[in-house]
Amino acid sequence: MSAQNIPGAAMGKEGERKAMRPSNGLTRRDFLRITGAGLAGASLFGLAGCGQERGGGVAGGDVWKQFKGTTLQFISENTPPTSAIAANLKPFKDRTGIDVKITQMELGALVEKVALDFGAGEGQYQVIYADPYQVLAPYYQGLAELNTFNEDDSLPSIPKDTGDFIPTQLDAAGKFESEEELYALPYDAPTMIWMYRKDLFEKYGDQMRQDLGFDPTPSDSSTWDQYYQIAKWFNDNANEVKYGTGHQAKQYDSLLCHFSNIPWVYGGDYFENGVEVGRLGSEDPGPALLDQPKALEAAEFYNKLLSIAHPGSTTWDWNGVDEAFRAGELAMTPNWHEFAAGIEASDLSGKVGYARLPTGPARAADMYGGTGIGINSGAPEDEQRAAWLFVVWATSPQTQRMGLFSEEGGGTPTRQSVYEIPKVEQAKKRPSEAPNMLTADAVSKAWEPQNIGLRPKIQQWNECDTIIFTELSKMLAGDKSPEQAMKYAKAGFDRATGAA
Amino acid sequence: MTKNSSRRWGGQVVLYGLLALALLWTLVPIAWMVLSSFKPPDDLLSTTPKVIFEPTFQHYQGLFMGANSLWGYVQNSLLAAGISTMISVALACLAGYGLARSHFRGKQHLSFWIISTRMAPIAAVIVPLYLIFRNLALLDSVVGLIIAYLTFNLPFAIWLMNAFFADLPPSLEEAAMVDGATRFQAFWRVALPLVTPGIVTTAILCLIFSWNDYVFARTFSGPESQTIPIAAAQLITQTGIDWGKLTAIGTVVVLPMILVGLAVRRWLVRGLTLGAVKGE
Amino acid sequence: MSAARTDKGRGLNRLLVPSFGVRMMLPALLLLASLSIFPFLFIVWMSFNEVSPIGGLSFEFVGLENWVNLFADPDVRSSWMISGIYFVATVGLEMILGIAIALLVHEIVWGKNLAISLLLMPMFIAPVIVGLLGRFLVDPTYGLYAWVLKTTDLYTQNILGSQGAALAAVILMDVWEWTPLITIIVLAGLSSMPQEIFEAAMVDGANYWQRLRHMVMPFISGVVIVALLIRSMDAIRFFDIIFITTNGGPADSTKIIPIRLYETAFRFFELGYAAAIGLGMLAFSILIANLFLRILARQGLAR
Repeated sequence: MSAQNIPGAAMGKEGERKAMRPSNGLTRRDFLRITGAGLAGASLFGLAGCGQERGGGVAGGDVWKQFKGTTLQFISENTPPTSAIAANLKPFKDRTGIDVKITQMELGALVEKVALDFGAGEGQYQVIYADPYQVLAPYYQGLAELNTFNEDDSLPSIPKDTGDFIPTQLDAAGKFESEEELYALPYDAPTMIWMYRKDLFEKYGDQMRQDLGFDPTPSDSSTWDQYYQIAKWFNDNANEVKYGTGHQAKQYDSLLCHFSNIPWVYGGDYFENGVEVGRLGSEDPGPALLDQPKALEAAEFYNKLLSIAHPGSTTWDWNGVDEAFRAGELAMTPNWHEFAAGIEASDLSGKVGYARLPTGPARAADMYGGTGIGINSGAPEDEQRAAWLFVVWATSPQTQRMGLFSEEGGGTPTRQSVYEIPKVEQAKKRPSEAPNMLTADAVSKAWEPQNIGLRPKIQQWNECDTIIFTELSKMLAGDKSPEQAMKYAKAGFDRATGAA
Repeated sequence: MTKNSSRRWGGQVVLYGLLALALLWTLVPIAWMVLSSFKPPDDLLSTTPKVIFEPTFQHYQGLFMGANSLWGYVQNSLLAAGISTMISVALACLAGYGLARSHFRGKQHLSFWIISTRMAPIAAVIVPLYLIFRNLALLDSVVGLIIAYLTFNLPFAIWLMNAFFADLPPSLEEAAMVDGATRFQAFWRVALPLVTPGIVTTAILCLIFSWNDYVFARTFSGPESQTIPIAAAQLITQTGIDWGKLTAIGTVVVLPMILVGLAVRRWLVRGLTLGAVKGE
Repeated sequence: MSAARTDKGRGLNRLLVPSFGVRMMLPALLLLASLSIFPFLFIVWMSFNEVSPIGGLSFEFVGLENWVNLFADPDVRSSWMISGIYFVATVGLEMILGIAIALLVHEIVWGKNLAISLLLMPMFIAPVIVGLLGRFLVDPTYGLYAWVLKTTDLYTQNILGSQGAALAAVILMDVWEWTPLITIIVLAGLSSMPQEIFEAAMVDGANYWQRLRHMVMPFISGVVIVALLIRSMDAIRFFDIIFITTNGGPADSTKIIPIRLYETAFRFFELGYAAAIGLGMLAFSILIANLFLRILARQGLAR
């Protein structure tokens, strides 16, 4: 994939031409010589062109090379964008002379190491994958405020500025409590969608319409109630799959991610003003609303739904349910949209449809699971600034586009401009070069402010998360009634947040 | 056949039958693991277990080629476990001998304190150790891991070697000293050779415990010092567990161990015989 | 004249010039002390504080609050109960199976070496890998064991998703891994038994079971206690297998105390409370070890 073919390259050239106009009177050749990167490099960093406006024309090359020789440590979860970047670090090294060491690990291990790193206070990891709930909320004071870097003239600024990031994602993944302060840039954006066996829906479509009395094809108006009925119908009538639905209901974060959608669509929530608590977060969310009738209704529905679901659901997290779906055990499942890549590479290629999650009487809700990357404020000043270079590059339009089409990756972009690139648009239809884009229509609507499902961004979230998924797990195991589970969960929440 | 020998025959059948059961229980998971490491991804995840399939080396290739080769992890594991064991056993020989040949009030208490340091709850002890390592710049280094493993290998080795030495009757050393040897020479030339099986036993057990450690490695190691258990855990990604590579790692770990086990088995048995009876 | 008495030294000499024994012990003990005393004191201090890791560790003295919670917390209590079950089941099974297999192998003549090498293999695989292998074998979609259980109709539910079955599964994984440790230790003890006594007994007409009860067991009882002690020390604090398979679930049914400790420390960041839980575990281990050592001492005296 040569740099010349990247649509961004065109912009880069323009940007350079703009940068050529300032008074220092350098010729184009001089500029290229100074940057030392040649057209290809400058195009890959088309953003260099855009950034020039504020950074100054000549300073362009120096701005990127000012930290040559530094080594950065980036700690990340095992996520597609990181795998793609890890395999394609050379452009960054060439451009900046900075060596980036990437360590990937599962989220629990990451949280532990980040906690210890903050505790020791010296910033061993300069760039941190800042999970909004497990890292950003409790540790936002340990992350550097990014606007100061962005507005610093001696550093490159964010290409197309922060407005290019999908607004709800910027808020959810990057901010805490304050509208202005930014602690992370949106990096990945897994979002829960409804995956279903399109081939079976087509085969049984007429029969289902007759039996159920409504059109089962997933649409913007499908409800969870209808989902339940469709699942039940598959249980009773279809042989191709073992069960109509399966879920990630393991006693683990996955249970919470799936469950939360339901109280939201019924109009319930975890806390008062839940939308804001989810979007920006809060240090003091107030008492929990889990014992309110709407939350209770949701728990009862969830219990009912799981009772007709594949029994493996209580052992599955998102991976487990994906494996079962790919093995043909389920007709439908709610799961993270980035699993589409794996599905399209399996036997089910072309047989699966992707839609938004069902809605409910109050609103639509599609659980968002994205994360941003931030900079460790405990690291020395110059390392932070070097880290800024990496953060900007890793979330740039070019890198996101590269990640989308790369072999290792497949992570969907968090920037609106990338979705407008023609090649990316084309990938929305089969045969697709980036199978995750097949879900693009569903997820882009999911990211609208009225649809996005955001769990509470509070500092005690780990504890609350554990409480609610433990209680729900007990409910599903039959140990507690929905009412008991919710009451106990509320008590736990209030204890944890100090609202008790 | 006489009545005695037919009973012996029947006994043998029962014996080998039970042995077969024990071997089955032990080996089926390992055999399945080795088998699976050669399966193509689709066959790995098939709902009916496949015994016939087209073998592939792709998982092994994935493990050893590419930037993140398993060799690095293997090296780190070997170095950390090996050196930590050597230091522990060496120091423990000295200390164990000293302890066994000393008699003072509070010896039991000292003994108990030594072994109690091995009972520290791992997740709690990580925090202060992390701070120490951070201040000494030992994080993300094999040296750091070696020291971390000493925290449980050293007390264990001292305790075991103490037991082995305590079993030796002092008369042999006394005889050597009467002949003019110093205390240390008595130790070095008489006592130490006699407990060689004990040394081997201790070394093997220490090796096993450090080789298998996951929590310490996960906390104290960084990109340069990751060990094999970390490699296995890293196969847990956001989108699935790479079973192919995992079974390959398991196979890579197990097969050499058979060789090691075969080589030292004789010493292991003798060693455990000598010391284990007294314990202390 | 015993060698020990000559080096005890006299008076001042003894104080200024450490005895040979002490000099031998010094390097190891100094190293051990430096590695363990500071962490221990630190943990004790943490247990009396509310400790938070933001921007460097911060301490807020809260006196006995963590300790009171330790005894009042129903979650900690239930974890202890599950740990109790887990401990008794794993160590119990490992001892019984380990001794049985050792006895078995001891009687075998042909293929003994091979059998031992094969039987020892599980011990050499890291618990993390054993746990993942276990997951691979019991997974409802593609697990070998799950498939066998399903097709023979012995168990059709999902093993790691059902409370009792999950606990049984992790217990069995632990037993699979550590039984060889007991086996090798007991086997060593068996190998050192003098054969002549048995031959005499057989001539006298004693059958296998009688020999076992009255001669073998008493002989290896010391070895057995040592094996028990070694395994017990770790059975309380190891949690790799459960960590990687169920992480405490489903519905907290496999949440042994070290898992809760880890969760308190690194998910909830309540390091002070976690320290208290950790010290509780240490106290329990010391009690158990004390018990076993006393039995061992009595054994030694009896012989």
